[in-house]
Order: sequence, then structure tokens, then C-alpha cells
Amino acid sequence: MFDISLFVLMLLGALLALAVYLPLRAGQLSLATPGFYTIGGTVAALLSTTVPELGGNEQTYPLTSVFLELMLAIPLVALLAFLIGKPVLKLKGIYLAIATIALVEILRVVLLSSPWFGAAVGIFAIPQPFEGPEGYAAAFAVLLGITAWGCQRLETEPLGREMAAIRNDELAARCMGVNSERVKLIAFVLSAIIAAAAGVLAAHFFNSWSARQASFDASITTLAFVVLGGSRTWLGPVIGGLVLTALPELLRPIGDLRLIVFGLVILLGPIFIPQGLIQQKRS
Amino acid sequence: MEVWLQLLVNGISIGAVYALFALGYTLVFSVLGVINFAHGAVFTCGAYFTYIFLGGVVGSNGLLAAQKLPVTFPLAIALVLAGLTAAMVGLLVETVAFKPLRRRGAEPLLYLITSLGAGVIIVNLIQLLMGAEAYALPSNILGSMPAVLALGHGLQIRTVQLLLLLVGGVTMLILNIWLNQSLSGKALQAVAEDATTARLLGINSGAMIQLAFAIASFLAGLSGGLVALSVNIGGPYFGISYGLKGLGVLVLGGLGSVPGAMLGGLIIGITEAFVPAKLSAYKDAVAFAFLFLVLIIRPQGLFGKPPIEKV
Amino acid sequence: MPLAMPAAKVLRVSPKWLLLLGLLASCSSTNSNAPVNLNAGLPVGAVLSLTGNANVYGQDQRLGLELAQAAFKPGSSMPLNLIIEDGGSDEAGAINAFNLLINQGTTALIGPTLSQQAFAASPIAQRRGVPVLAPSNTATGIPEIGSFISRVSAQSSVIAPLSINKVMQLDPAIKRVAVFYANDDAYSTSETTIFQKAIKAKGLNTVTVQRTQLNDQDFLNQITSALRAKPDLVVLSLQAVDGGNLIRQLRELGFKGKIVVGNGMNTPNIYPICQRFCDGILIAQAYSPELKTKENQAFVATHKAQQGGRVPAQLTAQAYTAYQVIAEAAQRLNKREPLKGMPLRQARLLLNKEILSGTYNTPLGKISFSRDGEVKQESFYVAEVQMNPDGQTGRFALLK
Repeated sequence: MFDISLFVLMLLGALLALAVYLPLRAGQLSLATPGFYTIGGTVAALLSTTVPELGGNEQTYPLTSVFLELMLAIPLVALLAFLIGKPVLKLKGIYLAIATIALVEILRVVLLSSPWFGAAVGIFAIPQPFEGPEGYAAAFAVLLGITAWGCQRLETEPLGREMAAIRNDELAARCMGVNSERVKLIAFVLSAIIAAAAGVLAAHFFNSWSARQASFDASITTLAFVVLGGSRTWLGPVIGGLVLTALPELLRPIGDLRLIVFGLVILLGPIFIPQGLIQQKRS
Repeated sequence: MEVWLQLLVNGISIGAVYALFALGYTLVFSVLGVINFAHGAVFTCGAYFTYIFLGGVVGSNGLLAAQKLPVTFPLAIALVLAGLTAAMVGLLVETVAFKPLRRRGAEPLLYLITSLGAGVIIVNLIQLLMGAEAYALPSNILGSMPAVLALGHGLQIRTVQLLLLLVGGVTMLILNIWLNQSLSGKALQAVAEDATTARLLGINSGAMIQLAFAIASFLAGLSGGLVALSVNIGGPYFGISYGLKGLGVLVLGGLGSVPGAMLGGLIIGITEAFVPAKLSAYKDAVAFAFLFLVLIIRPQGLFGKPPIEKV
Repeated sequence: MPLAMPAAKVLRVSPKWLLLLGLLASCSSTNSNAPVNLNAGLPVGAVLSLTGNANVYGQDQRLGLELAQAAFKPGSSMPLNLIIEDGGSDEAGAINAFNLLINQGTTALIGPTLSQQAFAASPIAQRRGVPVLAPSNTATGIPEIGSFISRVSAQSSVIAPLSINKVMQLDPAIKRVAVFYANDDAYSTSETTIFQKAIKAKGLNTVTVQRTQLNDQDFLNQITSALRAKPDLVVLSLQAVDGGNLIRQLRELGFKGKIVVGNGMNTPNIYPICQRFCDGILIAQAYSPELKTKENQAFVATHKAQQGGRVPAQLTAQAYTAYQVIAEAAQRLNKREPLKGMPLRQARLLLNKEILSGTYNTPLGKISFSRDGEVKQESFYVAEVQMNPDGQTGRFALLK
């Protein structure tokens, strides 16, 4: 049986995978995605539970208010990503990855310790804009559609080609006149925006929100989505996110063994299909 | 009592664990240039192996319920055996998760994922076999030694922690001597320096990588056992909490640098100890903020070599 | 297998692909007007944390459910068909398991293990009209999630203060209290607020509040700093593993006073962790194996027989109780209005009413529910841990 709530989580997985994919497309391994995702969710959770004006008069929470949350969360996160990205993107390779993990960890501890953000208990009873999971599936699908469309555009836009050039060889790209700092920063900010928008929707979907979402595990899991799906085109991360989110659920019938099999898939995937499920034809 | 002195002692004893942990990361990184995310799981194995070798009985919830070894070993031997068994687990991880990629010269990103997968498998296998319950090494294992030693001036240290400090220190010393004095140690360093040149010099780099894994995993197993002596095995996720801290230590000290890992561990341990009690909630954030600042100021870490841009 | 396709083609394929998934998604959902499927018994789901860092709790609970299954199945006119699913230790895991079980046509759910998960998953059951009986959620506000949500686990604000009262009775000279809690843990932060209120109400002086983190194993710094404030009572709200480690280190570093712990350590799982240092810690409980009722003695006896002489943990007893409550309610309901052929939606609604209206003689004693689903329990207990000389086993000895 196919469950719509699981489908929502799969779409969410695909979105987060795209957020990891974008900087990776410019050769930057940033694991900050769960951090921005958490900020987005926290903004939505705080606004919808503390600002009664957003609630409207209907039984369900108005969609316009969700839109307003998005409009607040996105610029906030974009600004943050811009400020953080400037110094952080000077780091290379694994150093960048670990610096971003450190940032997520700092964010997690600070949010979990601050009563203003719900602290450890989190924020709950977040109002629902939809009656059931179908509405969320539609909302996430729209968001994923827009993001995927943007990523597809990138394949042909100069910006996308510059990103690919940096991934192949940053020095060479710079020699050819690519402003690599700017391109990397744009990718980083875009990635943060996707994650934050996903967070806004997810906070409503989960009914409750806490900074525990921003964990080291989450960083690595989303990275696995991208690697298993393939990191050369945007479809790879989308497939990776969908499949790997669904997998533990599909494995339920085997009971206690399911996480062992899940681990096996993550272990064997890169060995047998190193390019990921979705590959680009080599020219 | 001099408070700051006590805090320093606390910090060093906690930092030593971080250092031991990060040492395993750094050994593998130095030869392969990748991070082994299964390291925390191997550490956990070490703790469980120590428990078993000490004659411990498996609880009631795993597949191995109520089983035990027919023999019981004294602590020192049990620790060494746990280290050796962990080394075998490490070699297995290398064979399954690293070797196929290494042969193909795959991009470093893939190693992160395969080793993560190996870690997930190990942790869940432990749960399947041993159950989720906590295990503790017998508290009278140190014989008639008191639980806490007074160092004078009101200073005190837990005996197990002193033991950990001593064993850890000696191991690190041996490792350092071996790396710098012995032929195989130098060969390992040569591979770390430049694998291609090392191969031209007739060094079997595959064997050296396996050696690095074996030593790293031995250390992980040994320190897993030692830490279990001090804080007990909370469950199959025992080593995971050190995984992230160890990563921080690794980068702070400089990737691939052995003295860096040691100093990095001590620095983070001591920094945490000196976070005022009022702010202790932010202790982990302080350690990572510190790491972050170091990275921004000195991207290669304290002891790492600056990356050379190849033109 | 590798799909080799150029980027342009990728775009053409993808909308179809999404459409396919959308179609898949839309042809699901059980029809809640169809009759209840009674082929294997009345379907009841349980969502437990069998993996992730709360797995040790889920393990205790699974045992309780299995014992209850064995105890209530034979000779029942309406046996339950219990389906246990792993809810992991996070919100998403619980949501998945809840949806799965609801779609399978279960008439009631037991779970989830953590309060944190309940705030995310229980509203789903509420919206779909499925009764949820929580066996272990102790945070404030759980039954308030909705009319379908109830619990057999008394909330910590009722239980926690009892142990403070008791320790004052035992040692009226206590003045200075040190409080420990994990500031990144939901259970821990909510319980410590209750403890701190109770301490204040008793006129005691909180000399220091030390914060730890859930994953901490080494507490030297916090202990050094707490001991400098010279407390004569330590009150801690921590989970079994970190709490057990903290107690051991606290005693080793020379603390001689009384220790009061919260519900997180209410499990025999702490014995191997703090070993002989567990001895003498005080804890308020919603369950005592030493309760002398017919139901409890039978429960303890089967538990001992199966678990090599060990007495049951509170979590095990509460999970057993949750099963018993649903089994008995189903029995009564079926006698009055046969469940055979009843539409699923109606069965869920009636079962919920039946659960809330009954009185049950359980291992926890006699229990019933308030109108919004909060458990009404006759007796609570304060126990003192007494360790055996081997330092590995012990018991929660009831303090009269």
C-alpha cells in the first residue's frame, strides 16, 4: 500500500537533496542544509503559533499565512547564508564540509538551549493549513516542481555552466574569467533558500518542531541521497531523495533486519553504481 | 583547592579520549585522504568485545541472549584482545567499503557514504545480537584500587581516568616512535606523503593502507574498552557521540597530523572544562565555535600543511 | 542499474515520472466505511521506539505487549490482532508508522514511545479518528491533543514531587539542593521544571542548577562545580544511561548525600550502569512490582518466569496495561454491539468511548480515565533502589 504521508516525506527528501546538490554542482561539499532547514521550520513554527493574526477565521490555517511565512523565512535565510558563505566558502573540500557541520551543531545547541525557540521541548500544536496529507503532497510537489525547473534552467544558463566549470577545475575556471567566489556564493544561498522553504512546509506537516532536526545524521543522510541518486544532473538527487526516504519504510516487512539492509544499500550503492542512479551521458 | 587546576585535570582526562578517537580518523585520513565514518562503530565494537572477553553475559534481548564465552580474561588481556578483534572489524570495513573504491580511484565523496553504510550495519548488527540494553564492565575490575585518587591540594582524579590517560599516553608514544623510527612506519608516512612516489619506491601502498586501518581500529577498540570502563556502554550508539567530537578534533589538529590529533583533543577537552557552569548548556557549541574560528583563521588546522594549489 | 540519458531527455521523462508517482499516491488509503477486518482478531497497532537512541525503552515496551498478548488472547471472544511497528526515535519515524498502521485498518493504536513523537504523530490519528492510548508519554499536554488521545502513563507533574516529599520525611535536615538536567532533552527539561517548583515549595534552597547534554557521558566538570556549592541533596532528571553514569561519577567523586531521580531512570536498566552506586537513590513511580494485587502478582510472575527472575520495569507494566485496557474495552464493546460487520470508522469511535468510560484492574492498580483521556490512578509509589552485593542486580524497594 502506498501511503500519502510517506510520499510527502519522500518529496521532502528530494527537496533537501536538491539543496545539497546545488553547492555540490559548483564543487562545494556543504553540509549546512539541515541548519537552514531548521531555521525555516523554526520561523514558520514561531510565526504560526505566536501571531494570532495569521490564523484567520477558518478552521484550517490560511495558505496565505504559509506564503507570508515563506516570504519572511526566505530573505532571512538568504541573508544569513550570504553572511556565512562569504568566509566559509574560502575553505576547500572536506574542510568546508566540517566547517558547515560545525555551524549546524552550533545552531542546534543554541536553539535547543534558548526558551525563545521552544528549547528542547520544541514548538508544538502548529496549525494545519491542510486537512490531510494530500494537501501537503500538493504543496511539496509544487515546491519541488519549481526547484527542479530552476535546476533544469541552470543546465543551460551561463551560471550553471560556470558552476560546472568550477566543479571540474576551479583554478582553470578562474583563469577563464569566472568569478568563482560569486558563483559559489550564489549556489550556497540558493541551496539555503530551498532548505528553508522546505522547512517552512515541514514544520506544519510535522505538527511540532524542534532543533533536533538539525543533526549530524541529517547532514549525512541528505548527502547520501545525492551520492546514491547521482550528482551530475538534478534528477539524480531527486530520485535519491525519493528512493532512500521510502526504502526504510518499504523494508518494514523484514522487521529487525531493515536497518541492516538499509545500511547495505548505502554501502553497496556507491561501489556498484559510482555515478549514482541517474547518470549523464558522456560526450 | 585550586579550582582551575581541577578543571585542567578534568579537561585533560576528557580530552585524552577525544585524542585517542581522533587518532584513528587521522591515521586513515593521512593515507587515504578520506574520513572513515565507520570509526565510531568500530570504537563501539571495542567496548562490547571488552565486555565479552571479561566474561560478560549477553542480556536477554539480542539473538545471543544469555550467551557468554567459556573463558574469562583479565582486564589487560581483554583490552588487547578487544583491540585485535576491532582491528579485524576495521580490516573488514576496509575490504568491503574502501578497497573497491580505492582500486577505481573513486572520488572521496563516495567513501563518506560507503563508510557511513558500514557504520549503520555494525551498529544495527550489535543491536540485533546484543540487544539495546546498557552493559557495564564490573566495577571491581580494578581490584583494590580506590575509585578516586587524591593528587594532593584537594585535587582528585578517577582511577579509571588516570588509567585511560596512562594507557592512552603510552599508546600514542609508541605510535609516534613507530611512525618515525621503524621501516614500516616510515613507509606508511611515505604513502601518506605521496602515494605515487611511494609506489615507485617499491612500497606496497595497498598493504600500508590496510596497516593504517588495522592500527586505527586497534586504537579504536582499545579506547572503546577503556572508555567503557569509565562510563559504561549505553547501547549500540555508544561510539556515535564521540564521532562528531572526534571529527572536530581531527580538523582542529590538522587533517592527517598525528601530533595535531593529540593536541587537538586536549585543547577541545580543556576548552570544554573551562566553559563556566552557567553556560554549560552551550558547551558543545563552544567547542565547535572554537573549531570554526580556527578554520577561518587557519584553514589547514593547527598542524596541517597548507594545501598546494596545483597549476 | 545505471540510466544513461542526456540532460534534455531527462526533462522530457520527468513529468511523466512524477505523474506516475502521483497516481500511485492517489490510489491508496483504506476506506474507513468498510467493515473492520476481524480475520485475525481486532486489529490494534503499536508504535514503539525499537531503533534509534530510545531503543532501550521500546524493547521494555515490546516485552510488556508480548506478555499481555499471551495473557489475554486465550479464551477471549474478541482477541486482538496486535501489529507492532518500529517508530524509530524521531518524529518522522513515528509519523510513518502511525500512517502505516492507520491505513492497515487498525482500530486503535498504542504509542508512540516518546512524548516528542506524540506531539507530531498523535494529531494524525486524532484527525483520522483513531484512538491512541499512550503507554509512556509523560509530558504535559498529551491528552489535550484531542478527544481520541489518552494515556496510561501518569504525567510527571503528578509523580515527581512525591519523591521530594519523601526525601524530606527521611531526612528533614536537608537544606541545599543541586539540580541536574539535560538541556537538549524534552523529557528532562519538562521534568526539571516540576522538580524545581517542588523544591521551592518545600522551602529548600537550590544552590546550583547544572545543565548537561543528552549524549554526554562524562560529567566531571558539572560535578566539580556542583560539589563546590556543598549540596546535601541532588535531584536529577536524566535518561537511564547519562543519569546512571552521572550518579556513578558523583559518588566516586565523594558526594555522600541523598539522590532523587526522575522517571527517565525508572528502569532496571540503570543497575548495570551505576552498579553499587545506584544503592539508595530515591524515585517516585507510577508502578511498583511490589504492589500486592492479584493482577500485578500474576503479571510479575509471568515476567519473572520469562525473564530469568527479573522483575518488570515500569515501561513494561505500562505497555502491558495499555494492551489490557484496549483488550477489555473491545470485549465489553463487542458484547454490547457486535464488532462484526461494523464500519471501521464507527468501530474506532465506539472503541475510544469504551476505553475512556471503563475501569480496569491492571498491574498499575485500579485505573480509569478522566474525560479528556488523562489516566486516573489510585496509588503512586516512592521506591529506594537496593543493590545486591554483586553490584549488577537490585530492586526498587517500595518505601512505605
